[in-house]
Amino acid sequence: MKSVIKAKGVVKTFQGGKKALDEVSLEVGKGEVTVIMGPSGSGKSTLIRTFNGLESIDEGIIEVLGVELDSYHDERKVMRIRRRVGMVFQQFNLFPHLSIIDNITIAPIKVQKRNKEEVASKAFQLLAQMGIAEHAMKFPSQLSGGEQQRVAIARALAMEPELILFDEPTSALDPERVKEVLDAMKQLANNGMTMVVVTHEIGFAREVADKVVFMDEGKIVEISAPEDFFSHAQNERSRRFLNQMM
Amino acid sequence: MKFIKKNLNLFSLKRWIRNKPVDFIVTMFLMLLILWVATLIVSWFILEANWNVVSDNLDLYAIGSYPADQKWRPMIWMLSLSTLTIITLTWRRKGILQKSLPWIWILMLPSGLVLMAGGPGLIPVASHKWGGLALTLILALSSAFIAMPLGILLALGRRSKLAIIKYSCGIYIDSMRSVPLIAILFFGQLLIPLFLPVEFDINRVVRAILAFAVFAAAYVAEDVRGGLQAIPKTQVEAAEALGLNPKQIAILIMLPQALRTAIPALTNQAIGLLQNTSLMAILGLVELLGISRSLLANPNFMGRYLEVYVWIAAVYWLICTSMALLARRLEQELDPNILTIKSNEISN
Amino acid sequence: MRIPKSFLYQLIIAFIISCILGVLFNNLIVNLIRTGIGINFKWLMRPAGFALAETSLPYKPSDTYAWALFIGWINSLKVILFSLILATLLGIIAGTARSSSNLLVKSISSLYVALIRQIPLLLQLFFWYFVAFLSLPNTPLEPIGKLLSLSNQSLRIAGVNISVEFCALLIGLTIFTGASIAEVVRGGLNSVNRGQWESFRSLGLNERLGLIHIIIPQSLPAIIPGLTSQYLNLAKNSTLAIAVGYADIYAVSDTTITQTGRAIEGFIILLASFLVLNLLITGSMNILNKLVMRIK
Repeated sequence: MKSVIKAKGVVKTFQGGKKALDEVSLEVGKGEVTVIMGPSGSGKSTLIRTFNGLESIDEGIIEVLGVELDSYHDERKVMRIRRRVGMVFQQFNLFPHLSIIDNITIAPIKVQKRNKEEVASKAFQLLAQMGIAEHAMKFPSQLSGGEQQRVAIARALAMEPELILFDEPTSALDPERVKEVLDAMKQLANNGMTMVVVTHEIGFAREVADKVVFMDEGKIVEISAPEDFFSHAQNERSRRFLNQMM
Repeated sequence: MKFIKKNLNLFSLKRWIRNKPVDFIVTMFLMLLILWVATLIVSWFILEANWNVVSDNLDLYAIGSYPADQKWRPMIWMLSLSTLTIITLTWRRKGILQKSLPWIWILMLPSGLVLMAGGPGLIPVASHKWGGLALTLILALSSAFIAMPLGILLALGRRSKLAIIKYSCGIYIDSMRSVPLIAILFFGQLLIPLFLPVEFDINRVVRAILAFAVFAAAYVAEDVRGGLQAIPKTQVEAAEALGLNPKQIAILIMLPQALRTAIPALTNQAIGLLQNTSLMAILGLVELLGISRSLLANPNFMGRYLEVYVWIAAVYWLICTSMALLARRLEQELDPNILTIKSNEISN
Repeated sequence: MRIPKSFLYQLIIAFIISCILGVLFNNLIVNLIRTGIGINFKWLMRPAGFALAETSLPYKPSDTYAWALFIGWINSLKVILFSLILATLLGIIAGTARSSSNLLVKSISSLYVALIRQIPLLLQLFFWYFVAFLSLPNTPLEPIGKLLSLSNQSLRIAGVNISVEFCALLIGLTIFTGASIAEVVRGGLNSVNRGQWESFRSLGLNERLGLIHIIIPQSLPAIIPGLTSQYLNLAKNSTLAIAVGYADIYAVSDTTITQTGRAIEGFIILLASFLVLNLLITGSMNILNKLVMRIK
């Protein structure tokens, strides 16, 4: 299987000396859904943000879609990666001054220089796929959290990415809105999209994930298949975490 | 070590030029520019500058034409002011010093006025003999001392439920803020006597202080109002629920919070006020800038503009920067988070 | 019937305020009678008798005081308008430079702001006038041929003559106001949520496109009020023109008052002309604000 992400010996130290990532190595294969779990402050968000260069690293190598990133943080390589990798944030981060349709089309038009009409019709199609076509002309503040997050997913998809990173996509949502976003993500997974997801949603991980990565204190503690992880986790720390979650 | 390694790596030229050509060109251009300016400055300092105009007249810059036999009075005052600044900025506060510092600061203005003007046991010195940095400081401190309470009253007045207070404060604040300071100062000198009884005569320095104060009060009022608006409504509701009356709410709950929030804005006002005292140079007082103007008119120092301007710019810069640092210190002292840490330390 | 307490309070306060105003007014009348001037505006139509160094419209000393004051007002407007445009450009450049990734660019703009804001404007104006311009040679310098010529009398750009007084004032006001605008711009950019930066970056937009399309539009609501108050400050500060001998509205009214002794009328005229200037600035900024809000 072709690998999309290959991280080797990644170290990231925050100002003040705290190690956010400590010798992390991880491989993500094409079409795979990888779920990263762990207590808060374990470094899981930092790790996923190094994959598209939002965080620089101090040691090690990350190869994303064949582009290698190291501690030098080469801006041009980072840009090359970002054009092919989508990201969905916890706080949605839609652009509040742009309409939904403009939110989705701005990057394809400005970055990929694609034709406006073509991009717009593609955007409508994606919104319909997400079940929110009727909101295209509205502004982000007029939408519920769940709807905004689905727009964010559509925005990421509009760039036709080969990989999507999800950084706790449902943590900021009202409980009754979580399902609609998870359903959209499941649909993507079923279509064969490569996804790395930081989440606390055990149901999602169990149903969709190909593998579960458990992190604690900047280290990867365990990588297992979901059925193994949730029934008999290898590591004592994973078990303790799961006990708290369930 | 790692930091150095990383930065050396960053400056690896080839990589830099290839990856960020624009960034490289801008950096090189700026480096050349800095080099050029630095050479100009250094060569001026070494070859052309003649600092006699500064070193021969240090007393004049400090106190103007204050009587020489009495010059220890303003000198002592300014010395203690700068010592106090240094102590406040550097010493770790504990015990008695912590408690007495605010009081010493408050005492600085009256003691300065007494030292300058004369009082029990001191020969009176008329205010037209005041000058230099001492006059600058007196102008700024005295007008700030009047402007502060006046500004707070105006800010509270503008939020009053009584229409007549609200509108008269509003009109005062808005009209003061729409007029240039120099006009206020000029007309203050001209008009204050016109509005006072014939026998009532006040000197130029007091007129200037009053004009600065009524001007600055309008700006203080707006900053305090900003602070008041930043207080969440729930604070007032909580205070009302405790049964406090409106006056108590204003004094005990609203003002302390509003003033703390307003510190950065008020600092800018204070720095602005100190800088603006230089306007009196145009209107005939010999404060710091005024004294340098009269020095430059002296044939002995003809044309030494740059030396004088660099020198007093440095003095102004030093004072304004210390004011900014003092204000930051005050803000830290009043930070509720730090206060709680302190009380925890005590209870432990 | 019970009179409400607040009404009573207001009555008392109104009484006190009118008493104070009354005493002040009485003093004023007494003083005016004593000096024998009184208040009227007829002198405005008398010939001014003084020359003005800078006139944008035809003016000669035999013209009226009113016309001289108007010329001064136009001069104020001229210097305010030009320094407003230049200071805005400078402020935007220096403000965005402070969030630049280039360490050198960042330090230079911080140094500029930290230095300029802590030195009195008047001193800076003296510097530009006496040191920078008056020390130029008598015979014009022509660094790039006939296009630009510089002397201690005037600056000529492509055949247009500009006085050194105007230049010194323009540069001084621009550099001083630019530093304050830089702070406003920086504050505005910082007011935009960090997530927005990450969001446009992760979409592959570069810093320049991100600033233009995402960050600046969102920071405008925070920037425009700050900008308005800086423009008003600029207008007020332009009255320091008198220090470099530029004939603005304040300098002309100063001369007028010295000649005629009409301080109160002079003050009223100055107030009125500033009222118009302020209204011009706030009015156009309100229109700008509405435009921005519509785009949003």
